[in-house]
Amino acid sequence: MLALNSVSKWYGEVCALSRLSMSIPDNSYVSVLGGSGSGKTTLLRVIAGFEEQDEGTVTLGESRLDGTPPHRRGIGFVFQNFALFPHLSVFDNIAFGLRYREAGAERDESAIRDRVADSVRLVGLEGLERRGVTAISGGQRQRVALARTLVAEPRVVLLDEPLGALDTNLRERMCDELKTIRERLGVTFLHVTGNETEALLMGDLVAVLADRRIAQIAPAGELYARPASPAVARHLNAYNILSGKVSSGAFRSKAGAFPVRGDHLADGTPIDVAVRFDRFKVRASSSPDGREAAVEARFIASEFTGALVLSFFRTGDGELLQVVTHLSGPEPETYETGKDYRLAFDPNDAIVYSGGAA
Amino acid sequence: MAIVEKAPSGVPSVPALANVDSPAARRQRRERRLAYFMLAPGVLWMILFMVVPMIMVVYVSFWTQTTFAIHPTLTTDSWVRFLSNSTYLVSTWTTVKIWAIVLVATIVIGYPVALFIGLLVRNPTAQTALLILCIIPFWTSFLIRVIAWRPMLGTQGAINTILIDLHLIDHPLRFLLFSEFSVLIGMTQIYCVFMVGPITFMLSRIDPSIIEAARDLGAGFWRIFWKIILPLSLPGVIVGSIFVSVMVLGEFATAASLSGRKVNLLGNIIVTQVGSLKWAFASVAGVVLTIIIVVVITALLRVVNIRKEV
Repeated sequence: MLALNSVSKWYGEVCALSRLSMSIPDNSYVSVLGGSGSGKTTLLRVIAGFEEQDEGTVTLGESRLDGTPPHRRGIGFVFQNFALFPHLSVFDNIAFGLRYREAGAERDESAIRDRVADSVRLVGLEGLERRGVTAISGGQRQRVALARTLVAEPRVVLLDEPLGALDTNLRERMCDELKTIRERLGVTFLHVTGNETEALLMGDLVAVLADRRIAQIAPAGELYARPASPAVARHLNAYNILSGKVSSGAFRSKAGAFPVRGDHLADGTPIDVAVRFDRFKVRASSSPDGREAAVEARFIASEFTGALVLSFFRTGDGELLQVVTHLSGPEPETYETGKDYRLAFDPNDAIVYSGGAA
Repeated sequence: MAIVEKAPSGVPSVPALANVDSPAARRQRRERRLAYFMLAPGVLWMILFMVVPMIMVVYVSFWTQTTFAIHPTLTTDSWVRFLSNSTYLVSTWTTVKIWAIVLVATIVIGYPVALFIGLLVRNPTAQTALLILCIIPFWTSFLIRVIAWRPMLGTQGAINTILIDLHLIDHPLRFLLFSEFSVLIGMTQIYCVFMVGPITFMLSRIDPSIIEAARDLGAGFWRIFWKIILPLSLPGVIVGSIFVSVMVLGEFATAASLSGRKVNLLGNIIVTQVGSLKWAFASVAGVVLTIIIVVVITALLRVVNIRKEV
């Protein structure tokens, strides 16, 4: 188990991580979702030992990692830009750790050949061993970077946006392969990404990094269904967040009013309500229905993305709302730009975050 | 009628554009003409002031030299004199020896400086500032820089005075000035910066994450230095070595003013011979020097394929 306990990291006056705690079980795939500048890379660099945290501890199993230089931590790091050694061949890149590591370097060339060959097979790079790393494609470089790290058998592998430099097709294939490779080796992968789809797809556990700490860590399905805070919901890029105040048991803002289930809320408490993009029904402005909750919003534009149509609306207090319509459903309506609509949803689909508790 | 024939490997063969009068072929011809046009002034310059004079020097080295005159009757007299006289052979050897020592000294002193500026200082402004510090000595003239070593190294100079005052020695060290040692010191100081510059440039281009990757894979500092940093900076070392070699091999001023005429380099011989109007003999020394420089540069370029690195 890799555990971070109340880790803080400052760069001068700028705080990158603030009392961040998380524990990562052995033999699991954990993805960390965070926006750019959220401290994702700092988190990995602290674990790998390229940076030392200012407060808190990092432990792997029984041993404390902080204070140990990176080459003695036994943690693998796959860089976003791959960081291959440009003057070495694919084979020599992969063999680097085995040959030159400080502790337990392999002296026997035939053992190195065998282990590199295993690793080359694992990532599917057969036949490219003698190539220079500048003479192979991006996807192949990614595999070299992975093989180079895995061949040294680290206990934990940190992947810094490993798919960021690949095109979409390759991304999807690498996603599957990363999972398969990890399952076969039984090591822990900690994968950071800014892409919510990737995070949900890859992680047995998904952690959301918001406000310089872990806002929630949970299995992907659970996290998606019940984000623990508006910040988490925002990172999932699947929820509209409505901000307003409680007034006699109902949510109230300029956009509209509807009853909420949290019945013990005092009047005037600020609340946020999260509703998934695909839970909205768009109705004509003048068609109130007592059983539905709804907000008023003006239609701005639609985007056709293939199987989905995204429609954008703006509420009276300036909040941008997204509605997703699947083409598999009933024929999507077309809306008139600048006209007001009622965005209705089942109150049971609303997740309520009451004043500051989020 | 297939215009593009399939090569045996299945790769389409390149059609010869030059034989086709298509817009693409016309464009290609136009661009080639432009390239030649841009090349022309440089080529002309090099032919007039480099190739022709070089041929002249080789030719003159075979002319007949009398005490006060030279005439174009071909003879090998000057060559025989050069190759059979130990004075000239010794000075050729001295030239090569001093070149080798200065080259090694500039690498040994320059590399750590470059390592500091290029790798440890990651702020580009600070890097530039430090490199400028390195070239500040060049703001004074070459001769002043050379002569400034005299009050430093002389028998009454700074170093001897300090050593005597510290009671480390009783008599001033005489080998410090007007010796081969002072020539080596002077040259190393002057040419070191030409080594620091190119190496710093190569080092600063190394992606820091490559070094982090090597650490992450378990390698300690020295391993990373030998296996990653040094190979990646080698082109810089070679370029620096070429700079230093060309300048040191053609040197005469440092030797003239710091050796007290004890060290005669090929450059000094050329100066003296030209001074006494011995053009043919000066040409022989010039040809020998050129051959040495060509051999040295060819050897250096063999170490690393510079073109591959850019």
